[in-house]
Amino acid sequence: MPSRSRILVARPGLRSGASLARRPLVVAAIGVAFLLAALVAGIAAGSVAIAPSETLGILARRLLGLDIAPTWTAAAETIVIDLRLPRVLTAMVVGGGLAVAGAAFQGLLRNPLADPYVLGTASGAALGASIAVLIPVRTLILQFGLLHALAFLGALGAVTVVYRLSRVGATAPMTSLLLTGYAVGSLLAAGLAMAMYLSGTGLRQIFAYLLGGFEASSWIRLAVAAPLIGLASLAILLRARSLNGMLLGEEAAAHLGVDVRRERAILLALASLATAASVAISGLIGFVGLVAPHVVRLLVGPNARLVLPLAALLGASLMVGADLVARLLGEIPVGVVTAVIGAPFFLALLRRAHAGYEL
Amino acid sequence: MAAFTRFRARGVDVHPIHFGGGGRAVPLIFALAVALAACTGAGSAAPTPAPTLAPALTAAPTAVATATPAPAFPITITDDEGTVVTIAAEPQRVVSLTPAATETLFAIGAGDRVVAKVEDISPYPPEADSLPIVATYQGVDIEQVVALRADLVIAGGLGFTPPNAVNQLRSLGIPVVVLYAESIDEALAGIRTIGMVSGKATTAVDLSTAMQAEIDRLSALTAGLDRPRTFYEIDATSEIYTVPADSLYAELLVLAGADPITTDASYQISLEQLITANPSVILLGDGGYTTAADVGSRPGWSGIQAVIDGNIAVVDDTLITRPGPRLVDGLRALIRALHPEVRL
Amino acid sequence: MIRVDGVTVVYRERAALRDVSLTVEPGERVAIIGPNGAGKSTLLRVIAGLLRPTTGTVELAGDRVDRLERLAVARRLAVVPQLPVLPFATTVEEVVALGRLPHEHPIRGMRPGDRAAVAAAIERVGVGHLLGRDARELSLGERQLVLLAMAVAQAAPVLVLDEPTVHLDLRHQVEVMDLVGDLNARDGTTILAVLHDLGLAAHFFERLILLDRGRVIADGTPAEVLAPARIREVFGVDPSFVRLGV
Repeated sequence: MPSRSRILVARPGLRSGASLARRPLVVAAIGVAFLLAALVAGIAAGSVAIAPSETLGILARRLLGLDIAPTWTAAAETIVIDLRLPRVLTAMVVGGGLAVAGAAFQGLLRNPLADPYVLGTASGAALGASIAVLIPVRTLILQFGLLHALAFLGALGAVTVVYRLSRVGATAPMTSLLLTGYAVGSLLAAGLAMAMYLSGTGLRQIFAYLLGGFEASSWIRLAVAAPLIGLASLAILLRARSLNGMLLGEEAAAHLGVDVRRERAILLALASLATAASVAISGLIGFVGLVAPHVVRLLVGPNARLVLPLAALLGASLMVGADLVARLLGEIPVGVVTAVIGAPFFLALLRRAHAGYEL
Repeated sequence: MAAFTRFRARGVDVHPIHFGGGGRAVPLIFALAVALAACTGAGSAAPTPAPTLAPALTAAPTAVATATPAPAFPITITDDEGTVVTIAAEPQRVVSLTPAATETLFAIGAGDRVVAKVEDISPYPPEADSLPIVATYQGVDIEQVVALRADLVIAGGLGFTPPNAVNQLRSLGIPVVVLYAESIDEALAGIRTIGMVSGKATTAVDLSTAMQAEIDRLSALTAGLDRPRTFYEIDATSEIYTVPADSLYAELLVLAGADPITTDASYQISLEQLITANPSVILLGDGGYTTAADVGSRPGWSGIQAVIDGNIAVVDDTLITRPGPRLVDGLRALIRALHPEVRL
Repeated sequence: MIRVDGVTVVYRERAALRDVSLTVEPGERVAIIGPNGAGKSTLLRVIAGLLRPTTGTVELAGDRVDRLERLAVARRLAVVPQLPVLPFATTVEEVVALGRLPHEHPIRGMRPGDRAAVAAAIERVGVGHLLGRDARELSLGERQLVLLAMAVAQAAPVLVLDEPTVHLDLRHQVEVMDLVGDLNARDGTTILAVLHDLGLAAHFFERLILLDRGRVIADGTPAEVLAPARIREVFGVDPSFVRLGV
């Protein structure tokens, strides 16, 4: 994506003595532009070619209520309104939610390499989903099936277990959380491997879930998941002050007026909720929750009041863009796209960040 | 995973997980009763019930005489997953998501109404070759199905068609009938269901009756013969895969006059178990990937009776597993391989 | 005003503080000294409300610290933290701005008054030449000054320092101590500092509290507290005093 590399070059490198650039308004403007471009491209593209004028007409008629005589087929309208639009919006919500959760985890754990899955949420969701595939129950409530429910519960369950296990006395120190998260995640992954081994034809479904995707998006699912993710993200945003306080460590945060124990529990719960809801509807899509807040922080600094909303914006655009690429490449899993783009990009970031001064 | 991928690649409709399809007869009878009631209830002046159960001995679609048949639609049926599906009007734009459904639709004369199909490694019939492909092993292109204005989709159960795709199509208002078969009865019932939902109920019933009659005749020919211990190889590149005890495969093998070596729902059998069972005939369903000579050179296989005697034959796996109109051909192929002396 | 009353802290079966009582009046300049393990840092944490004493109470400006909200404590007492590890690139201004956390709007953040306070603190502590720099790249002395500026920006009547000169060279030690003295003299800020350097303590502080093994051994002027016999007994060292020229 050309714009992103332009930003990287323009930003002064982190060399000794150089001033750190902070341009929040510019980043916000670019982020909004990115998101709009991604949304438009996402709605316009698909396996069935629909003329842009028709797409605009459909959107104007259905979304804005304008009285335009339809020059398009009913099928085209169904495709745009019932297939592409909810898909693109779901990608936006999930991308934004994962980015905010990632930013929260990075701030809480004071580790720029943390992502929303660091405390076992991914493994828990995957195990929940694979168990659901083994159980031949097919009822749907509001178009959510057993798979979504168990993925959601698995994610939350894993984080709860990690939190409880890492408690030392009344507090759960951050290093303890990280290490416990790793251990529990490994255990859950073993459970997942077992479930996959037993799954038979369900293996395909489990894999599809693990690699993530937005093909199955629908308005109803969006209507249930979006408020959950949105409200959790908003609640995190409102607690930006506490995240800022954590910058110098928990003790300094306490001295600055942060009720560390309470804020940490609340922020962990909110970030885990947003993550669990996201993975429940779209599977395990990585890198967006790691890269978006990281990039934003490099551009505007660590102030959570800026990082959280801008990361949401960038995460949303990235996810919509990745879904578009996945679609155009023949419906490959979105998780593959984010990994293929995200990993090298992240390596490049690391190299630039460490050039010029010693660790 | 590799073995299952190969299953798909060869167009085999494999259904490894047995979901207990025993209760399917009930919903089918119910569906027929409902259809009957709907037909009679739909009320016209014609007092005769819709001729859905008129027996005929040919498979060719014949015009049924007597009175004007009462309209068959709308109908409500229960598919093989237990979902109740309502089809409002006789479908004119059918999408077939299993190779068996494609074959069946063409066989019962509904081929002109099929607008798209699933990718088929062993495509049949030739008339279906020009149809656009809207589904592969990767998944279903929902946008294309919508763009084609499909008014009926026939999908494969046991995960063959991704459940997500089935749900999504249904949520868009497109009726989806999910079918799968793990026995001959279920295969024939599936053919009749396809006939019912595509407005060719009579023809389909005729076809299934004819198939049943031929199957009965063929199995009578082998009834009194010696049953060789038979190993049917589905795949043996890494693990060895053979037929489960309650499968369509096993049923056909028995009717073809074999004593098949069977395994459980995992489809896997260990080499030790195979050697102990010591089959006297080996049938290669994976003939595209291996030869009789290869089998003999596999380590540990040389002591098996069938290898010693050279009783290894290749059979067309598609005919045997596809629960469609050519199932009878599959039975014939098996008999030819097992009892070449029988005059079919 | 800080009042510590009969505080005992038992931590992992060890009494870190035993029956400590002291009062610090507004405007005082107090140094807490003692050997390693005497309980100096524990005392600071108890006063800051981070540690709940097993027995005894602590009051800040008349309110019990264990009953105050963290934000209320932060408005009464600012602590210059030990050099923390910053996980992200953070500018000097951003670090100093953290000091306004207890004052800024919870959602909207810093108001003009807060920004002015940050600028004033930077000016006061003299780190203006470091603006725009990544705090992780500064020398230890520069970083300590930035943290001091942060505490100054917090604008609390009490300033607490925990071993602020440990990593500093002589020049920066004096710089920090001079600043602290200036804050006390000009702004009337109450100063409470834990120091291990007896010379610094004696020179810059009017009142010393000597702790040993959790108890207050002495509390008074440097001359009173740093009696040779006491030093010998508490620190196990034979002191010799060198009087430096004024």
